[in-house]
Amino acid sequence: MEVTIIIDSLPSLLKATIMTLFLSGISVLFALVIGFSTALIRILKVKILYEVASIYISVIRGTPLLVQIFVIYYGLPQIGISLDPISSGIMALSLNAGAYLSESFRASILAVDRGQMEAAISMGMTYGQAMRRIILPQSLRIAIPTLSNSFIVLVKDTSLVSVITVTELLQMSSLIIAKTFEPLTIYLIAAAIYWILIMFFTTLLDKFEKRSSKHLVR
Amino acid sequence: MNVIEVKNLKKAFGDNPVLDGVDLTVNKSEVVVIMGPSGSGKSTFLRCLTYLEEPNEGMIRIGPHELHTGGKLDRKRKKEIRELRKKTGFVFQSFNLFPNKTAIENVMEGPLTIYGVKPGEARELAESLLVKVGLGDRCDHYPSQLSGGQQQRVAIARALSLNPTVMLYDEPTSALDPELVREVLQVIKELAEEGMTMVIVTHEMNFARDVADRVIFMDGGVIVEQGNPKDVFDHPKEERTRRFLTMAE
Repeated sequence: MEVTIIIDSLPSLLKATIMTLFLSGISVLFALVIGFSTALIRILKVKILYEVASIYISVIRGTPLLVQIFVIYYGLPQIGISLDPISSGIMALSLNAGAYLSESFRASILAVDRGQMEAAISMGMTYGQAMRRIILPQSLRIAIPTLSNSFIVLVKDTSLVSVITVTELLQMSSLIIAKTFEPLTIYLIAAAIYWILIMFFTTLLDKFEKRSSKHLVR
Repeated sequence: MNVIEVKNLKKAFGDNPVLDGVDLTVNKSEVVVIMGPSGSGKSTFLRCLTYLEEPNEGMIRIGPHELHTGGKLDRKRKKEIRELRKKTGFVFQSFNLFPNKTAIENVMEGPLTIYGVKPGEARELAESLLVKVGLGDRCDHYPSQLSGGQQQRVAIARALSLNPTVMLYDEPTSALDPELVREVLQVIKELAEEGMTMVIVTHEMNFARDVADRVIFMDGGVIVEQGNPKDVFDHPKEERTRRFLTMAE
């Protein structure tokens, strides 16, 4: 293995890392919105939407992400919905992570002590006020560790999108290997980049968790 | 002038009747202590007063706010229930302070959210209430940094923050270590002396003797006996009351 190969391939790999970050970032945002709203729908037992949300979560959690990606990219065009690879990737990743986040949010809201809701409504708050001001802030703190887990999985899952020709980190690695025949070196660099990315996010979320738990420190 | 009026209140959990027709009127500034064995329905009764449990049957009036059971839970009725709750300060056995808010933020929460009071004003009000319950120097402590007795006093200040017509206490000292009970009862007693109308579910007999204008003994979902503390404790008329008092002593 030669140092020059590393130096030569690094710019391309870092460029592809930006695509990985882009896919992760956008998908996290969509997933948060999807996860949070479906969690609320299930907790409030909103008619019809409750069933839709439950089926969505069950289907997504019960099928492999790779299959979901294929259905969206190769399957949907058959019924007239053609998305480019990046949009398909984002859609698959968002829908997938959304289902897991939904369960995290739901569990964390239900984990807040029942007495908190009682205290809030006994003062005369509406259900919405109690949720917004009392329950949700507390549930968010409870949710952070599992959210953090889902984020990690999401960042790693972006590598699956390489199969529909999105040039993210893994796809770029394979392209470079096709030219250099140095799979060990290049894949190890790719692995290192994933690792650094994820360490960065985990540290960030840990900090956030510590900050939001300051009231628990004696 | 009575401040609380309850007529024929009934509540069942499934097939299990818990309240079987309770009538009660409480006058302004009166302090009523409710006692009874566990499962007698006393806590459920108190929770029904502020609609934390919805009664199956009966009428509840607190101040001018009157609620009959059986109404459809529409927007108007929800508002009526909220109006009733605003005028009813409720103190829980397990305090139920908001753990992510400091003592003063706990007390400010109601005025801010419900009455839309300005933060500065809410802070001033909350501070004066915390001083009143003897915690002026604990404003910025989180509940986890306070003893049980202190937490319960913050909870009382929080209940007072909405300027309620009546205060309801659901076993306010049952979760406390014995040495912390006194400080909480002292605060309740001071409120009684100021003329606050209060209904207190408690097992503290000495406190009841000392502070209550009336003691109510409940069993099996009904009021068995009531009267001034001296009469009920020293000369109970009903066999069930007598049995409970001997057990409790």
